[in-house]
Amino acid sequence: MAVICPHDVVNMASTMKSNEDLDESGENHEGKHPEGNLLHFEPEVAVESMLVPTDSFESFEQEAPAGSASLQPDSNLLKCQNTEENTPDKVARDTDTNVASRSISELSLVSEECIEHQHVEEELSNSKEWRSQEKHIFILSSAGKPIYSRHGSEDKLVTLFGVMQALVSFIGDDGDTIRSIHTQGTSFLFLIKGPIILACVYKSRESVAQITVQLNYVYSQIVSVLTLEQLTRIFEQRRNYDLRRLLAGAERLIDHLLIALETQPALLLGAVQCLPLVSTTRDAITNVIVSSCNKIKKLVFAILVGGNQLVTLIRMKNFFLHPADLHLILNLVNSSESFKAAESWTPICLPKFSSDGFLHAHVSYLAEDCQACLLLLTVDPDLFFPLSEAKQKIVEKLRRASLLQSINAALAHTGTPVSQLGVPEARHFLYKCKATAQFWGPVPAPPYQTTEGAKRLLDQYRVLHHRLHAPAQPLKLLYLQDNAETMLGWVTTGFELYVAFEPLVTKANAIGAVNKIVRWIKKDDNGLFITNAPTF
Amino acid sequence: MSGADFKVVLLGTEAVGKTSLMKRYVQDRFHPRPHINTIGAAFASKSVSSRGRQFVMGIWDTAGSERYYAMSQLYYRDAKAAVVCFDLSERVTFDRAKQWIIELRNHEEDCKIYLCGTKKDVIEDGTKARAISHEKVLQFSKGIGAVYIETSSKTGESVVELFQLIADNCELPSAKGKEESVKLQLSKKSETCCSAS
Repeated sequence: MAVICPHDVVNMASTMKSNEDLDESGENHEGKHPEGNLLHFEPEVAVESMLVPTDSFESFEQEAPAGSASLQPDSNLLKCQNTEENTPDKVARDTDTNVASRSISELSLVSEECIEHQHVEEELSNSKEWRSQEKHIFILSSAGKPIYSRHGSEDKLVTLFGVMQALVSFIGDDGDTIRSIHTQGTSFLFLIKGPIILACVYKSRESVAQITVQLNYVYSQIVSVLTLEQLTRIFEQRRNYDLRRLLAGAERLIDHLLIALETQPALLLGAVQCLPLVSTTRDAITNVIVSSCNKIKKLVFAILVGGNQLVTLIRMKNFFLHPADLHLILNLVNSSESFKAAESWTPICLPKFSSDGFLHAHVSYLAEDCQACLLLLTVDPDLFFPLSEAKQKIVEKLRRASLLQSINAALAHTGTPVSQLGVPEARHFLYKCKATAQFWGPVPAPPYQTTEGAKRLLDQYRVLHHRLHAPAQPLKLLYLQDNAETMLGWVTTGFELYVAFEPLVTKANAIGAVNKIVRWIKKDDNGLFITNAPTF
Repeated sequence: MSGADFKVVLLGTEAVGKTSLMKRYVQDRFHPRPHINTIGAAFASKSVSSRGRQFVMGIWDTAGSERYYAMSQLYYRDAKAAVVCFDLSERVTFDRAKQWIIELRNHEEDCKIYLCGTKKDVIEDGTKARAISHEKVLQFSKGIGAVYIETSSKTGESVVELFQLIADNCELPSAKGKEESVKLQLSKKSETCCSAS
């Protein structure tokens, strides 16, 4: 791994403060800065958003505490059920929960021995390979029962889980909460979420805030398969419950999510990437879905994704999808091969939307010859067949209008390299449009096309991101030069831009390149962003 | 219910081979891949002919993971037949199958139960030993009025037969127009019955 020594750190924000021509944020003084023109404009996108905008890291980090008081009152589920008057939703909901509680109580009768695992005497924590992992994630119950370990089987780590539980409860005894332990080279971070303890032991350069976000994501993934309501109830009934029984098969989702967190910028930015499509094509696809579904009541979201990118998203009026929820949906699609084989009908809880209940998702790939995945999310558990018919209609219409071909062409496209933008100084960049919670970046070119290269780049972005969003002293602009590359981060009210330059780039050239990039994005004739927020 | 004339649900513990069974029947394919959990439930339909009529069988392949148990009623509700699967080499999967049957009896009285012992090929080629004797299961299934069948999705043994049996045993859906004639026949029958007695 490349060691980066920030021997030349220049905080441009402070440089600029001294410059009277340009205010701190680079606003209002276009064309006057001697070092170059840091144009300040929003791309003409962000008119409307179907995603909840995440304008800062902090707001993203502020997860709803287990229980209540989330940003949106957890009545989202009820609200969209209530969009149709005289629906017996209350009854439906009640029976649902009754069924759930009945089965859960039965669960305790189900033979304990079937999950009984052989305790392997040899503790994994002594293994050299295990110890050398850069980052460990552990999940345990507040009673100390192992739930998950990123590396190695949690069965072989019972002692370690015991230590973690002891640490948490020891500090907790004084009415305090353990948050992190920092030693030279290794940090230990704890996140306590009701009956669940999440811990991360890491040697990477990630910040506490970033790791907290990641642990929150993992927790959300658990809530997404169980609902907060069920999770809370289980541990209320049996504090000693072995949650692995209910999470069987979901470890794969957590693994996949953690890999995404380690390798993709999307979750760092709290934004999604869209499949580049000409806007008329995208609108046509959207219209096909809307016209096929608009008679179906209680359909909350229709989401079309392909290659981990968003093709389109249609929502019920007055309801929005949080990017964190969309990431969980993408994670579900990406980690579930079984969706490719058949039409699926699955409960899914979107914690930001409503952590207390399930939405029901009709999940299917468009066609054998079009590997885009359509998700139709509803509150009505009886809607499978209407949705299945709607899906057939959508595919027929898309096929007739040759839109399947357009999607396929976009999916087959390898991505735009940065060289096409005419900014030779820049090696790579990430542009996040805050209002729409979307981002775009060129396809990685040398030296970032290798796994190690990509990892180093993402590490650099993390450092930038952390410094720019540091709670104590957030920055607007940051210019970091070291021997591997020069990094520039710029946060405005409308967007965030992170750029990796050649290490020896001059500031003037860097600023020139940034302006070119922003101008290129602004043109947006590439269909990089979804600029409207269609509803049913 | 739309989409299919006849609802069949596959139930059973995880990794007993419900998805493989459905795949073998619907697509006539088998992938000896590592087990992949089904998420929620998967739906597939297949046209079957029985007693000279063609109809569509809708098959729900449910997830065996424990967290879906609470939702399972959603999937087996109004099912005309349930294939309760267990792995012939795993005792616990049979115990769990019994519990499914109790639950079905409590909630869906009219649902016909087909007890299905899976992975017969594994028993036959000696890779694994049979966990419960054929006679015992047969006795159990007779006791509850269920049909017992042993299948192998790998070789395809008894798979088509199982679903054909389900089709043959089912009440045919009352297709419009034909409904009356069926009723007529029925009433005729009962008349002869009455006169005979």
